[in-house]
Amino acid sequence: MNQGGLSSFLRKLLHLVPVVIAIASLNFVLLKLAPGDAADILGGMTGSATVEYLEQLRRELGLDQPVWLQYVHYMKRMLTLDLGMSAIQGVPVIDLILQRLPATLILMLAALVIAVFCGVLAGVTAARFKGSWIDNLTSVLALVIYATPQFWLGLMLIVLFSITLGLLPSGGMMRIGVTQTPLSAALDIAHHLILPAVTLGLFYMAVYARLMRASMLEVLSLDYISTARAKGLSESKVTWRHAFRNALLPVVTLIGIQVGHLLGGSILVETVFGWPGLGRLIFDALLQRDTDLLLGILFISSVSVVLVSLIVDLIYGLLDPRSAVA
Amino acid sequence: MKLRYLAATIPFLLAGSASAQDITRGGTLTYSYNPEPAALSTIATTSVPVVIAATKIYESLLEFEGPSLDPKPGLAEKWEISDDKLTYTFHLRPGVKWHDGKPFTSQDVKFSIEKVVKPFHSRGQTYFGTLQAIDTPDDLTVIFRLGAPVPFFMKAFQPGESPMMPRHGFTEEEIAQNRIRQAGIMQKPIGTGPFRLAEWTKGSHVILERNADYWKQGKPYLDRIVMRAIPDGAARAIALETGEIDLVPMSGLPPAEMKRLAGLDHLTATLAGSEALGPLMWLEVNVREKPLADMRVRQAISFAIDRQRLVNVIWYGNGKPARGPLVSSNPRFFNTALEPLRYDPKEAEKLLDEAGFKRGKDGVRFELTQNALPYGEEWVRQAEYIRQELGKIGIKVNNEALDMGGWLKKIYTDWNFHFTSNFIHNHSDPSIGLPRSFTTSGIRKGASFTNSMGYSNPRIDELFVQAAKLPDGAERKKIWDEVQVILQKELPVIFLIEMGYNNVFNKRVNGLITNGISLYSNWDSVWIKK
Repeated sequence: MNQGGLSSFLRKLLHLVPVVIAIASLNFVLLKLAPGDAADILGGMTGSATVEYLEQLRRELGLDQPVWLQYVHYMKRMLTLDLGMSAIQGVPVIDLILQRLPATLILMLAALVIAVFCGVLAGVTAARFKGSWIDNLTSVLALVIYATPQFWLGLMLIVLFSITLGLLPSGGMMRIGVTQTPLSAALDIAHHLILPAVTLGLFYMAVYARLMRASMLEVLSLDYISTARAKGLSESKVTWRHAFRNALLPVVTLIGIQVGHLLGGSILVETVFGWPGLGRLIFDALLQRDTDLLLGILFISSVSVVLVSLIVDLIYGLLDPRSAVA
Repeated sequence: MKLRYLAATIPFLLAGSASAQDITRGGTLTYSYNPEPAALSTIATTSVPVVIAATKIYESLLEFEGPSLDPKPGLAEKWEISDDKLTYTFHLRPGVKWHDGKPFTSQDVKFSIEKVVKPFHSRGQTYFGTLQAIDTPDDLTVIFRLGAPVPFFMKAFQPGESPMMPRHGFTEEEIAQNRIRQAGIMQKPIGTGPFRLAEWTKGSHVILERNADYWKQGKPYLDRIVMRAIPDGAARAIALETGEIDLVPMSGLPPAEMKRLAGLDHLTATLAGSEALGPLMWLEVNVREKPLADMRVRQAISFAIDRQRLVNVIWYGNGKPARGPLVSSNPRFFNTALEPLRYDPKEAEKLLDEAGFKRGKDGVRFELTQNALPYGEEWVRQAEYIRQELGKIGIKVNNEALDMGGWLKKIYTDWNFHFTSNFIHNHSDPSIGLPRSFTTSGIRKGASFTNSMGYSNPRIDELFVQAAKLPDGAERKKIWDEVQVILQKELPVIFLIEMGYNNVFNKRVNGLITNGISLYSNWDSVWIKK
């Protein structure tokens, strides 16, 4: 990267600061709009809370202060990257997030790899054999998978692979209460990872396949491809060397979007498979009005989504030098 | 049906404890409940998942047996109660150690009650509100001095209600700043119980291991208890089916799944084990609202609902029609003379006509909004069924869905509702479970699961005050009988169902259901057949 590229990157990074602040503020406002607070939930869970007990809880949680003051405290904390304490669990938010982050990253990465690799391969193949039975089969399969609810797909995979065939565990991230070597632990996690990663990856695989097919067909109709063919290059060389790289651009855009979606989409998959990731932490925090925890996760994830989109920009520049200038 | 069959054989299950040579030691009991506990102490909250886990770690002064919870020696070996019921002297068992090896003493008891349970447990004030002093003449003697008699005082010493917590488990800072509920010990418990925390991976599992220094010789039988977080009901059912977990307690399975699982050879399904909690479901009615203020309207609503059908269709046979504010399985206080609540739509229409709510041109008398308790599918189905039944007698019902936070605020903070489904626990004594729902002092804006109805009856208030002072006996029983008659007639809530908590477990698990609060017991006698 040259001098101009670096400064433009820094400029873009700087532009993200107001975006992140705006997102953080929006998160706060949206959560405050929801009726009820953590004290209501904590009191409700005990089944017989007194008014004094609730007041004491609100004092402990800082919920007795005016909303604007809570907002000031919150923004001050966010800007110093202090995410606060979980009201329900009484543990620092950052600890909870860090505990869950590895599980989420493993699942996201595996799902992403499955989705991109299989999806792109299927899309390219379908485009290359356009109109053939391969193309038709790929399109129909992609449509069916795209239309299937993820949690149902997950449950059906459990019924097939866990109950009927007894091949794969139905839930959890690893066997519990057994001491393992690093290698056996890794294999154990991989074993548990297959079903949730496939479930989560399949939906996007379908999307990639359709997108890649369309993109390839478009690129394959361009003049430079005709030139390449006219030079006498083999069809596979035309496909992979010349068309593939250009057709990949929209897929890269989608990957950026998918990373953001994976966090939300993984809630259902994590729920079905009991996968101890961030998705479920968000879900539980939402149901329990654990505002600080929720705001913390939202903040971290919005920052990561913004960063990912920046990285996508960079990759775009590498794939297509013309767009790097902009 | 299998469920009912088992419910009818509770005495058999209770008596079915194995002889000593049958028992196999060791092994792991794995159960699943959702959500996973937020803390491992009932001081933080008394939500079901917390109580299930914390009661294996923490003990109280007494243990309890039988459906009516008769007190038995626990951390206290013996006790004396003064004739005026104002002084309770407990003699502690010598040689009891905390999980970190330090001795358990009367100082810990004093600290637990005064600094932890009374101010911070959600029912601390109920049990210890009249407590004046705790004396500790020596390390093994504790004397409670009350300002007024509390008839249910001995019930306070259950592991989930008054857990004994070590003074040294809290930092000086936590005690000085009163940060008891956020104290580190809430996440890393130190108790005296048969199991201690070995590992807690948030979002995945909690492992409790055998306390090798437990004061009961040879117990516990299990090596380990594992709580696995499986958030999806269907996935929990699958894990039970494949043997990955041994137990789903306290209605942790969708009722529909339960019926299917109960038919499997390797599983047992039972409603026994929660009698002392006495879960009771009703429609909470806002009597401040004009039509509902009229007792005849509430009676009409009651007549319009076929409770047996609710039980059969919505709850898959899980429970039985309620008759009043106490569950009929309460052996000491239920008024057996109470008539069942009838299903009689004709009578309902007559009452509404009498009350002056005639049908309009469109056949509608008036409109009401209904909220369902946001606890899942069945509650929504039930709300739909009730809407349909009330529609038949000319009451148009609009259902409105909320999540838990919104529901709590609408019902208890704003009192802005017509009626909602809800359930409460009777507990073993009506003086513990009922006042907050039916007395005038229970009308407290913002306090959840209280008298949101705004129901106030001086006679009821007076009876509750009397009952809280009288020693158990015929006179006190007479008071509760009258309370039940009045509430059944005036219907500040529409009593619906005596619910049962279903427990589904692998047949290799033994000794699980032994008293009226078995899932909250310490499981030191539970064993697994190899």
